[in-house]
Amino acid sequence: MSAIETEDLRKRYGDLQALKGVSLEVDEGEFFGLLGPNGAGKTTFINILVGLVKKSGGEARVFGYDVEDDYREARDAIGLAPQEFNVDRFFPIREVLVHKAGYHGVPKDVAEERADEALRTVGIYDKRDTRFHWLSGGMKRRFMLARAMVTDPDLLILDEPTAGVDVQLRHDLWEIITRMNEEGTTVLLTTHYIEEAERLCDRVGILDEGEVVEVSSPDELMSRGTDTVRVTLAGEIDAVPSALNGKVNGGADADGYEARVEDGELVVETRNAGATLAEVMRALDDAGHDVVDVEMSRTSLEEIFVEVTRDHGDVTRAPEGDA
Amino acid sequence: MSTRSYGLPTGFVTLMRREVLRYIRRPRNTFMPPLITNVLYFSVFGVILGNRVGEIQGVSYILFLLPGLVVLGAISNSFENSSFSIFHGRWNEYIQATTTSPLSYTHMVLAYVLSSALRGVLIGILITGVGAIFTSVTVRNPFYLVAFILVITVLFSALGVVGGLWARDFDYLTVMNQFLLRPLVFFGGIFYSLEVLPTLWFYVSLLNPMVYMVNGVRYGFLGADAVDVGPNAALVVLTTAAVAVVALDIVLFRRGYGLTE
Repeated sequence: MSAIETEDLRKRYGDLQALKGVSLEVDEGEFFGLLGPNGAGKTTFINILVGLVKKSGGEARVFGYDVEDDYREARDAIGLAPQEFNVDRFFPIREVLVHKAGYHGVPKDVAEERADEALRTVGIYDKRDTRFHWLSGGMKRRFMLARAMVTDPDLLILDEPTAGVDVQLRHDLWEIITRMNEEGTTVLLTTHYIEEAERLCDRVGILDEGEVVEVSSPDELMSRGTDTVRVTLAGEIDAVPSALNGKVNGGADADGYEARVEDGELVVETRNAGATLAEVMRALDDAGHDVVDVEMSRTSLEEIFVEVTRDHGDVTRAPEGDA
Repeated sequence: MSTRSYGLPTGFVTLMRREVLRYIRRPRNTFMPPLITNVLYFSVFGVILGNRVGEIQGVSYILFLLPGLVVLGAISNSFENSSFSIFHGRWNEYIQATTTSPLSYTHMVLAYVLSSALRGVLIGILITGVGAIFTSVTVRNPFYLVAFILVITVLFSALGVVGGLWARDFDYLTVMNQFLLRPLVFFGGIFYSLEVLPTLWFYVSLLNPMVYMVNGVRYGFLGADAVDVGPNAALVVLTTAAVAVVALDIVLFRRGYGLTE
């Protein structure tokens, strides 16, 4: 069963079409990353699932439950850590958690145990009698995760959970989220930190200007990028060694590579640096060249992300430019 | 979601408890202002001026005053509580913790309305207690007293929910309370009997729904009835209005008015 399933999901705010027919499926138990530039529609998408935004069209289901017709079942399955802090100012944080669990039907004594456990997990149990307002920025982020997990959700939705936190805390939060996912909780994560998606997600969906432009695993995405191998040979060269000539003008096709000389070094661009490197080395060796140094750089997911959203932006903006 | 407390759904009981604790734990904010205000009302209007006014409808002025002050305190606290709680939660967005939960819209509305009505009832009891310090309080028709207090506190709590969802800023709450609620209550016959008004203003006053509320509670306390509308008819109309406004609240929650984009 799909944890999240949307078909042609649309949302319009006045003249602005925030979602332009998003069809997306997140499998049960999956760790799914939703990436996209600011204003791409990521938060709108999430808010439709939890009932904070009314959809203008299309379908959205959580574990098969329609988010409007079966809103109680759908919401019961979700634990949400929103991007903005939206915590009850009147009560100490432990009580806020007890209330949240109570809204999900958890009896008070069990809710109290769950609240303590959640606070211990995120490491702020000793602050349990403090109000949210008085917590430090990092503790506030920890608390947002505690509130999302206190209802023991089947689907954990995290909207920029590590925005503005230090490296140590980010790693702590990743560890907790990963553990929950390993225990069977489906995770939907939006993030601006591409590294976060690369490290954590089984699949990522790229949303741009209200449309899904890509759904793939981080590895698949990265394999589409171009890797660069720089080879320093003994003595400067001014032309690509003839051993590699067959590939030079052919361009970087699916299995091939493209070589050129730059500052006296041989530069090879390829889809797969690992496979290409061996072939290049063999060809150079056969031709009697001495290799002094090899430097290899892989395309980052960040570069792919920028490329994909830029290409999509060019396509969607083109008609306006032509008009 | 299926777990229940006291035979009631746990979600509803939790929200109700949260709402009640919010004001119970702040006695300086919840109970002190009506306590002080009503001590002043009873002292100035009841004791100092009351001796000059003499009797109205066969009772001392201070005793005549008491039911009106109870109504004033009960309905303003009911209205303020639900409107503030919802608006403040919207303003700071923490109401989202409730609205994204699996509570039914009916349970959400009932928790806000009943917790606010309870605050109104508690303030009504407090004001009655203050009155008892100044004069001996009698309850001639306990059934009507309880029935009217329950109905009007529910009605105004439900109206407060509408106000809390409608408000776009804090001044909306002030406008509703000071410029709408208070004048209607003051011209509803708290401080004077409608019988002293010229004929035209007597009939104009009958268009004010507060007249029937004050009159009903006064009937409960004193047995005195200053208008031609009997307490039963008034009770039926007010109960119908309360049910209708609660139903409206549920529709507004379901549509996400003021709560969703």
